Amino acid sequence: MSDRNNKIPFDEDNYTHNINRNNERMLDRRGFMKTLAGAAGVFAVSTLPWGAVAAKELMGLGDKEYPHQKIADLKDVKVGDSVKFHFPSENDSAILIRLSENKYVAYQNACTHLRCPVYWVKDEQEMICPCHHGKFDASTGAPTAGPPRRPLPGIEVEVKDEAIYAVRVKRYEA
Amino acid sequence: MKRSYVGVLILAAILMMNIVFTQLVVHQYYYENYGVTLLYAGLNILLFPVALFVYKNEKNKGGSKGYEK
Ligand code: FES
Repeated sequence: MSDRNNKIPFDEDNYTHNINRNNERMLDRRGFMKTLAGAAGVFAVSTLPWGAVAAKELMGLGDKEYPHQKIADLKDVKVGDSVKFHFPSENDSAILIRLSENKYVAYQNACTHLRCPVYWVKDEQEMICPCHHGKFDASTGAPTAGPPRRPLPGIEVEVKDEAIYAVRVKRYEA
Repeated sequence: MKRSYVGVLILAAILMMNIVFTQLVVHQYYYENYGVTLLYAGLNILLFPVALFVYKNEKNKGGSKGYEK
């Protein structure tokens, strides 16, 4: 027991195990640095699309100005009524609500939960999503009940010459 | 010959910044701060040549053997 550490474990008849062979170490210091530099390249390339989209957003559709679109004539919308329309494109359904004599609000009415169309319930003064009973506050677009968590994107409206126009989609405020 | 880990440390720091900038790019994009997004994306891209430069300079600094230089 006492000289247990003093023994050579096996007969050593060759000395090749400590020969320093070429490329023996797969990931040495240099290889590691090469990997790091490569990873930096991957990161650089992967941010390119984000930069490109951001640049496009900055130049082209900076404030997302769409051609003004007439929604309805003033006389056709009574207080408490709502009108469906499409803005900014054919496929973005939206809803206009006249809350009071001079207060108009408009939202893109695809529910922020799973994009069901939200509609206006006059009696309850609330916007309701039929799919899972999400509810939205009509004056702000903020969700008040049900699964939706984000507000409906607002649309800026303008009253001009006895008609209501959709001007732009408001910036999404998180 | 004592090996040099300076390059490794600098490159690791660069990679760290890469990760941070990438995260910032994505977040700022969703917050619609497109100018800031561009700034960070630019920085992220700039880091790559810097990393290459560091690698080129450091790769031969100090292996375990002098003759490997
Ligand atoms: S889609 Fe509107 S609540 Fe689920």
